[in-house]
Amino acid sequence: MTDWGDSLTIHKDRMSKRPPILQLKSLTKSFGTFNAVDGIDLDIAEGEFFTIVGPSGSGKTTLIRMLAGMEQASSGDIILSGTRINDMPANKRPTCMVFQSLALFPHRTVGENIEFPLKIKGVDPAKRRTRALALLDQLRLPQNYYGKSVLRCSGGERQRVALARALAFDPQILFFDEPLSAIDYKLRKTLEKELKDIHRETGKTFVYITHSLEEAMVMSDRIGVMRAGKLVQVGTPNEIYSAPRDKFVSEFMGDVNVIPVSMNGSRKVTADSFDKEFAVAAIPEAFSAGHLVIRPEFIRFVDKAKDADNVLEGKLYNEYALGSRIQYQVRVGENVFIVEKLRQQSSTLRRDQTVLIGWDAKDGILVTG
Amino acid sequence: MAALHETGKGLSQGARNALPLLIFLLVGFAAPLLAVIAYSFMPERSFGLVHSPTLINYAGIFTGNSYISFGWSLSFAAFTVCILAVVCYPIAYGLSRVFGRWAPLLTLLFTIPLFVSENVRLYGWILFFIKNGVLLGTLKSWFGVELESWLFTRGMVLLGMVYVYLPFMLFPMTLGVSMVPNETREAARDLGASRFQVFREVELPLSMPGIMIGLLLTFVLAVGAIAEAKVLGGQTIIPITHDIEIAFTYAQNWPLGAALAVLLMIVVGTLVLLVLKRFDLDAILGRR
Amino acid sequence: MSERSRHALIWAWTLAVLVFIYLPAMCILLASLTSSRYFLFPIQKWGLDWWRKTFDSIEIHQLFKTSITIALCVTVIAVAIAFFGALAFARYNWKGRTLFQKIVLLPIFFPQSVLGLALLLWFNAIGLQMSWMTAVFAHLVWIIPVVTLVISIQVYSFDPALEEAAFDLGASRFQVFREVTLPVLLPGIVSGSLFAFLLSWGNFPLSLYTDGADTTIPEYLYAKMVAGYTPGVPVLGTVSTFGAALLLLGGYWLITLRRRAQS
Repeated sequence: MTDWGDSLTIHKDRMSKRPPILQLKSLTKSFGTFNAVDGIDLDIAEGEFFTIVGPSGSGKTTLIRMLAGMEQASSGDIILSGTRINDMPANKRPTCMVFQSLALFPHRTVGENIEFPLKIKGVDPAKRRTRALALLDQLRLPQNYYGKSVLRCSGGERQRVALARALAFDPQILFFDEPLSAIDYKLRKTLEKELKDIHRETGKTFVYITHSLEEAMVMSDRIGVMRAGKLVQVGTPNEIYSAPRDKFVSEFMGDVNVIPVSMNGSRKVTADSFDKEFAVAAIPEAFSAGHLVIRPEFIRFVDKAKDADNVLEGKLYNEYALGSRIQYQVRVGENVFIVEKLRQQSSTLRRDQTVLIGWDAKDGILVTG
Repeated sequence: MAALHETGKGLSQGARNALPLLIFLLVGFAAPLLAVIAYSFMPERSFGLVHSPTLINYAGIFTGNSYISFGWSLSFAAFTVCILAVVCYPIAYGLSRVFGRWAPLLTLLFTIPLFVSENVRLYGWILFFIKNGVLLGTLKSWFGVELESWLFTRGMVLLGMVYVYLPFMLFPMTLGVSMVPNETREAARDLGASRFQVFREVELPLSMPGIMIGLLLTFVLAVGAIAEAKVLGGQTIIPITHDIEIAFTYAQNWPLGAALAVLLMIVVGTLVLLVLKRFDLDAILGRR
Repeated sequence: MSERSRHALIWAWTLAVLVFIYLPAMCILLASLTSSRYFLFPIQKWGLDWWRKTFDSIEIHQLFKTSITIALCVTVIAVAIAFFGALAFARYNWKGRTLFQKIVLLPIFFPQSVLGLALLLWFNAIGLQMSWMTAVFAHLVWIIPVVTLVISIQVYSFDPALEEAAFDLGASRFQVFREVTLPVLLPGIVSGSLFAFLLSWGNFPLSLYTDGADTTIPEYLYAKMVAGYTPGVPVLGTVSTFGAALLLLGGYWLITLRRRAQS
């Protein structure tokens, strides 16, 4: 393993230059005439933490099941370290999956679950035990959990046992099928960080699927956003956040303001719903019509029309406290805007008060579709 | 669903697992029923299937007394089902809602009789009701009261049927009642429904699948009942199964017996298919 | 009516029905404890004479042997076929599944005495000699569907991802079956075996028509009830049926209790 001492950005930079461990070439899975996964091309680098995000029904589960060998591809190639593995059954693939239900064997103890892949490989009991105990240690589980029934473990502990079992297999790639989806918010946040730490410690390639872009942002080196069987956008969390490719990706990020617009001048777009023009900074090539996306944290309350590049007058309808931030709903005619402020900025806003909201041209993102 | 072993060619994984059972039922269930149907078209008192088909046995059912037996069987089955529905509902409700940690033990206690030969259990009632038996003997020696035995009456047959088929009503019903989420009861109460309204508007419709299976199962089994009338009823009623048995044994008239059996099969089969068609077994058994 | 008194009523009703259910059993037990030849109540002279006489009888030994042989054969075959049937019933989503489920239920809903006669006709038509072996076959027609249902209930709660996980961790198909599928479904298989054994052991209507010259305990009891009562009848009734059921179910209950205590 290389030294991990340098800063993380350098580490990520190096990652993209590494040779791909997993290559997908026009990978497709059809059920009848319906393509659940529709011609996916993707390279995943060795040691990368790659997350596939998509709403339910986007085909992400089918995709990862094909990668793990539990579903047969209809066409296209899955290439692992240069070898096509489409026809290799799951039990022969040097990859391993952590299931959504975790699939811990209920009739086995924690130790026996972790040792399972070693037992299958024919490793002798003493060595199995040593390895299992080491994994318990690595996953921050007490040693005396070795003989404990998995049925008596808590949600978080079961997550760790499932991960330990997968690591015991010593796979080249670890797949994760939304393992954290059934866990409460606070524990999930902890486990996300732990998972990222384990990724760093082991240096293995992680391919993770989730429906939560927020979760993906926390852990991933790169994210692929999936919709209707296709990868809509692949990029670093920062790229996905600051330069979403289309309306779908931008809305997937959470609450955003999306305004249908059409091209009108060199630096202006027309929004019919407001009967207004908005200034924009960057305009994609050959852009004629699409949406203007503005994140709620980039919209601010202003005093006069000159305080921002684009300013609208509206009525404050309601406010919502979101932990460290406060969100406001502002109604401009028929349109609704979401505005966010940090909590510590004091505010004297009242409901039904007339307010001016504005944003700068550089904070509006134009997307097609 | 998992396609772990799916090869894409030949039979699906499910069909392959089902195959041994299907073959067995073909040989052990479908074939015998076909044999019965074939025999029912043979001339009277023949023992082979070599004769040319005739409808004489079916005509014989209505010229003889067998239609009366059909009437007895159907009406007693209907009575049994009604009584059992009333008897079992509170218990089913108790098992799924009231008894808590005692429910498994009570379920076990209700299960055990299922495994005991019907004859033996009915014989216990004889010992209870017979002259100088447990009931009358006690009354006589302790209170000096002498009563006529109630054995060999129609009421006794009904008691026997209610007794024997109780578990077959109770268990499906319990399954049905436990399918009603408690929140829906509470929500209905909260929305102002009286206890009876909760029962009629929420509990009954939601537990209907289980209740229907229970009604069906007990009715079908009770139509085919024979031991109760024989052991406890004397000759007060002759159920259709008794006629069938007589035709096969003493009368040595297999084709007539077969024709009666076919009629019974049609009644039972129609009912079963009608009711089963309406329910999703996965929902009832797997609760998903 | 208050919640409390309503619950008390339900308890009272349930216990009353239980008494009703066990009353005949108690009568049989009482009848077996007399020393006299005939059943008169209250019993004048208590004793275990008839228990001893019954257990010494060679005829009874033969009956036990026949009944046990049939029940064991039925259990083994029924569980083997029903296990895979249950997988088809509840585990796999396949095209013919809903139809299959209904086909499996049909024999359970069928009057057993008529089923016994139908099998008699069928065996006769294909020229089979009736013996305990044909009785095994007859029992299976009714018992396999019951056992399939019993095991299915366990299969419904089985997470298919368990098999996939084992397969993914390098296990062969056979290893997946031996290490995961079979042990996880074991409780269902145990209850299925129990059902198979006891239902075969106590069966009367199917045995009556299909076992030819061989005789099972329920058949013998029936013959003696109709003609030739001795207190040996209640003795055998108590031992063979209530005894077997209580023993096996009690044992099963203890096992589940212990397992619960462990986990």
